[in-house]
Amino acid sequence: MAIGRIIFGLKNDDSNGRVTDPPLRNRYGQVCDLPTTNHPMKIIMHIDFNSFFASVEQQANPFLRGKPIAVAGKGRNNMDGKPQDVSALRYERSIVTTASREAKKLGIKTAMSTIEAKQMIPNLEIIPGDPRKYAEITKRFLAILRRYADSVEQFSADEAFADVTCAAQDYFGAVMLAQLIRDDVAKECGAYCTASIGIGPNKLIAKLAGESVKPSGLTVVRPEEVEAFVLTRELQDICGIGPRTAAHLKELGIESTAKLRETPRSTLVHHFKSYGHFLYNASRGLGPDEVQYERVPEKSIGHSYTFPYDLETDIELQTNLLALCDKVAWRLRKGNFVGSVVSVYVRYHGFSGNGAHRKISVPISDGLELYKNAWTILQEIRDVHAPVRLLGVSLSSLVRMHAPSSLFRKDQKTAETIQALDTLQTRYGAGIWQRASTLKTVMLERIGGWHYDHELSESRSKIAS
Amino acid sequence: MHEILNDPIDVVVQFLQNRVRPTHVRWGQRVYDLKQVNLVHGAREGRKQIFYFSVSDSANFMKLRLDTETLEWRLVELYSD
Repeated sequence: MAIGRIIFGLKNDDSNGRVTDPPLRNRYGQVCDLPTTNHPMKIIMHIDFNSFFASVEQQANPFLRGKPIAVAGKGRNNMDGKPQDVSALRYERSIVTTASREAKKLGIKTAMSTIEAKQMIPNLEIIPGDPRKYAEITKRFLAILRRYADSVEQFSADEAFADVTCAAQDYFGAVMLAQLIRDDVAKECGAYCTASIGIGPNKLIAKLAGESVKPSGLTVVRPEEVEAFVLTRELQDICGIGPRTAAHLKELGIESTAKLRETPRSTLVHHFKSYGHFLYNASRGLGPDEVQYERVPEKSIGHSYTFPYDLETDIELQTNLLALCDKVAWRLRKGNFVGSVVSVYVRYHGFSGNGAHRKISVPISDGLELYKNAWTILQEIRDVHAPVRLLGVSLSSLVRMHAPSSLFRKDQKTAETIQALDTLQTRYGAGIWQRASTLKTVMLERIGGWHYDHELSESRSKIAS
Repeated sequence: MHEILNDPIDVVVQFLQNRVRPTHVRWGQRVYDLKQVNLVHGAREGRKQIFYFSVSDSANFMKLRLDTETLEWRLVELYSD
């Protein structure tokens, strides 16, 4: 039986000859008469993998199943072809990105340093992350969701929202879809990859419901149950209330969702500005129900990296900054972007840091040009007496175009060389060439992969500076 | 023992319903009789398509790398219980 949204043909002609979208059909093949946008009562599903990276590792390697394992933030590096004993790899500057269910039971938490985790559980197995494996599972997971839902919004590598208003028609249908999604995840991603599913009238409630029962929970909160359900949750369970907001609320004497609900909107707006409206609504279970399936265009592209040891000399900083700039520049050129605002962030041994950004006159996409600008900024902001733990560089104010060509022959030759090197990278993959000056830099692959690495936001730079 | 390697190997495979299933691996002088294919995932290196097979026998987990351009197999990860 065909389940989910079925679309017949690409476009339909109405009686006036106008081209219209094909009708949406529900899981029984009936034309869905519910408008998918602005519907007064939507059915939103939140699907979140349990211990994602660790579960994928346990799916791939059955000898890890049932054991406390942690996937480390820094990945494996077997490019040089020499055998490496994983247990002997350095994890000093890495964190636990995901702990297995068994490790979580023993107290290991996400974002804990690997050294701390190892001290807590000496037999904890630390597995270097494998971003390609996780990316493939994410791709399969999203394909399954798109098969069943009206629209899908990826929230992170292992989390997504799905609007199933039309496909499910009612909450019973939504539960049925959830079970089918779960079966398909087990078949296509592996039986060890399980997910918690929450179903509710908006994204806030769906996520709150999904996270209320873990692992492998399926929690339904109907519209009439929303107000009571929210009161059973802690403040920090609500997506959008982090430790800092919770601490601020505590200072105001608000330590529970019930207390938050009693607080007048004006008080919250007075203390939290526009964020007060979100807090007021969240305490009542009100949240957005628009599942956005369009990809948000990139605002900036950047990389940051925590080094295995602190960098102290100019030459170390220069070579590592240049290596980072080349990675950023390659991503820019791959996406046909040029950027004109360079941001640099530096973090020192004691975890203090600062950053700054600067607008440049000519948009760039060349690693060396980016490096020259970034190095100038770094020299201005850097505390020369403090060893550097982390460097970050990003380019924003992006425009989709090729870098403007220069009038000078020397610059034209550089542009031609970059073009030739890009052809090589497209053909043989990133890492096929490296500047001689960066040969001594070793950057292990990150858990999210270099293509998915986090970006330095402008706001972060401003806060830091 | 969990090792990251990059050793050339010989692999015997079955072709079943458009799928490739490794059944035996010869690494050095030893032949491993594979019991399970736990996960298969692909990756691109430039335009080259690579497939990784996470397989296991009764005592070892192996990650095999198949380069579809050269049809070369390599053992890239080994975990022995």
